[in-house]
Amino acid sequence: MILRTLLCCTLAGFAWAAPVRAADHAAHRQPAAPVKSVTKSAALAVGAALDARGHLWLARVDKGRLKVSRSEDSGMLSDPVAVTAESEIVVADGENWPKIAVADNGSVHLTWLQGLGKPMAGHIRYARSTDGGRSFAPPVIVNDDRQEISHRFDSLAIDGKGGVAIVWLDARERKDRGVKGSPETQVGLYAALSSDGGARFGPNRKIAGHSCQCCRTGLTWTADGPVAFWRHVYGRNIRDFSIANLKEGALRRVTDDDWLIEACPHHGGGIAADGQGDLHIVWFTQGSRRQGIFYRRVPQGDFLRGVAGTDFALGEPVRLGDPARQAGHPAVVAQGARVLVSWREFDGQHFSAWAMLSTDAGRSWGPAQRLADAAQAADYTVPLIDARRALVVWNTAAEGLRVLPLREGTQ
Amino acid sequence: MKRLLVLWAVFATFCLAGTASVAAAAELRPFSAGSLAAIQAHFAGKPFILTLWSLECHHCAKELQLLGRLVRENRNLPLAIVSTDSPADAQALRAALKRHGLAQLDTWVFADAVPERLRYTIDPAWHGELPRSYLYDATHRREAHSGLLGEARLTAWLKQNGN
Repeated sequence: MILRTLLCCTLAGFAWAAPVRAADHAAHRQPAAPVKSVTKSAALAVGAALDARGHLWLARVDKGRLKVSRSEDSGMLSDPVAVTAESEIVVADGENWPKIAVADNGSVHLTWLQGLGKPMAGHIRYARSTDGGRSFAPPVIVNDDRQEISHRFDSLAIDGKGGVAIVWLDARERKDRGVKGSPETQVGLYAALSSDGGARFGPNRKIAGHSCQCCRTGLTWTADGPVAFWRHVYGRNIRDFSIANLKEGALRRVTDDDWLIEACPHHGGGIAADGQGDLHIVWFTQGSRRQGIFYRRVPQGDFLRGVAGTDFALGEPVRLGDPARQAGHPAVVAQGARVLVSWREFDGQHFSAWAMLSTDAGRSWGPAQRLADAAQAADYTVPLIDARRALVVWNTAAEGLRVLPLREGTQ
Repeated sequence: MKRLLVLWAVFATFCLAGTASVAAAAELRPFSAGSLAAIQAHFAGKPFILTLWSLECHHCAKELQLLGRLVRENRNLPLAIVSTDSPADAQALRAALKRHGLAQLDTWVFADAVPERLRYTIDPAWHGELPRSYLYDATHRREAHSGLLGEARLTAWLKQNGN
C-alpha cells in the first residue's frame, strides 16, 4: 500500500506533511531504524514554538548540543544555532524535552534538563537569546540546590513582557531513602521567576511538597500570572493533578480519578490558558474512576487570584483517543478561543499521531484526526497553534521530524 | 543501518561477556518478543512472579530490595526479573541487581529499538508504569499490579502458592 500522503515536501531537516487518511494507514515497509539508545527515544524529543509572526521554532539535541533553528516560510529551516557552547547531556527522552518560547520582541527562551550521568540526577538549565536567536547567552543552572540529585521535568512560560517562569520537580528535601521511607514523597514543585526577561531570576520557591516524582509538569501564563499543573500525591499515594498560581501559591486539585499507585507513572499532563483566561488541561490516569487520557476545561476563577474559600466548577472530563490503542502522552495549546490537543497511540507495532481542535474554547470539538504514523520509535506529539494554523510537530526515528497541519473547516 | 549494526555489536559483546564470566554466574539476557513465552515455559505448571523494573524508576529500588531479601530467605523463589532499560545499561543493571542481592538470578533486559512493542507483548493494557508485577498462579492465570507490591501481599501470595 502506498502512503501517498506523507512528505509533501522534504526540506532542510524536516517535512511538512498532509494528514494521513485513515485508509492510508498501516503501510510501513521501511527498514528498521535504530535509535541512539535501544530502549529510550533518546534525543528524539524536541521542543517547538510558533512566534507572533507564525514562524516555527525548533529546539533539538544534536551530538550533545542543544540547537535552535527556525522556519519563516513553512519549509526551509535556518541553520541551527547552538545554545550550549560546550557538549553536555541534554536529556530528550519523552517526559523530558527541551522547552522553547519566543517573545514578540524577538527574545528566545529555553529550558532543558542537563543529565548528570547517574540515574535520575539532573540540573534545570536556562538560556536566552536577545537578538532573535542569532546567539545565546551562556546557560545558567536554575535550581539553586546543586546536589547531584533529581531536579527534573522542567516547564517554561513567558508573558511576552519580561516575565519568565520556570517550574520543575525537585528532590532536595529527600532524606531517607530506605525501604520504609517517609509517608511523603519528599519531592516537590519548585519555581523560579524573572521579571526582566530572564536576565535574573529570583530565589527558588517551593510551591508544593509531596508531588509525584517522575511525571512531566505543565505551565502556562494567565492574566493572573503563571499557573502550574502537575501530578500531586494526595494522602499516601493517590496520584491526581493539581494546579497552583505561582504568585499566590495555593493548590487546587483539578482531577478526581483517585489513582492509587505506589509508583510514578512517568506519564503526566499539560495545561494551556486561552484568550479569555480559562484553562485547558489534558492528562493520563489509571484511576479507579476513569482510565485513559482526558481533556477538561477549567474555567477561570477567583481561586487563581488567591481569593480564599472560592471555588469554580470544573468541566466534565472528555476522553481522548482509543484506550485499546494505548492512547497516551497528551498535550494542549490554546490561542484565543482555539484549543488544540494532541496525543499518541500505539497498536502493538506502530505509533500514530492524533489531534483534535476546538474553536469555541473547549466547549465542543471537531473530529479526532489521525495525522501520521511511524514505523519505528516516536517522540510525543508537540501541538502548536496560532490564529491561522493548527499544527503538530512529531519527530520519529524512521521518518524524521514532520510538521503536520490539521484539517480545519470540517467541524 | 550502521547504528543498528553498532547496536547489535554492543549487544553481542554484552551477551558474550555474560557467557564468558564465571560458570556459576547468572546471566542478564536480552528480552525480545518471544521471551515471555520462554519464561512461561520455564515455569510451566508452576506459579511465578514476573517483575518489571528500570534504573530510571524511583520506586523500583525498593521493590528490588524486598525481592532480594525474600530471595535470601528462599533461594528457589520463582522469580523472573526484567529490566525495561537497554542492553547498553548492562553494567549499571548488574551493579543494581548485585546491590540488592539478586546477582545470582537469571534476569532479562528489554532489547528492542521500540521497547513499547515488548511492553505490548507482555500486556497491551500496561502503559509502562513501574514497578509492574504479574503474579502467575500454577495454571498461569495472572494478576497484574502497578507500583510496589508490598511485603504483606507478596508473602501472602507466596504462601498461597506453595512457597
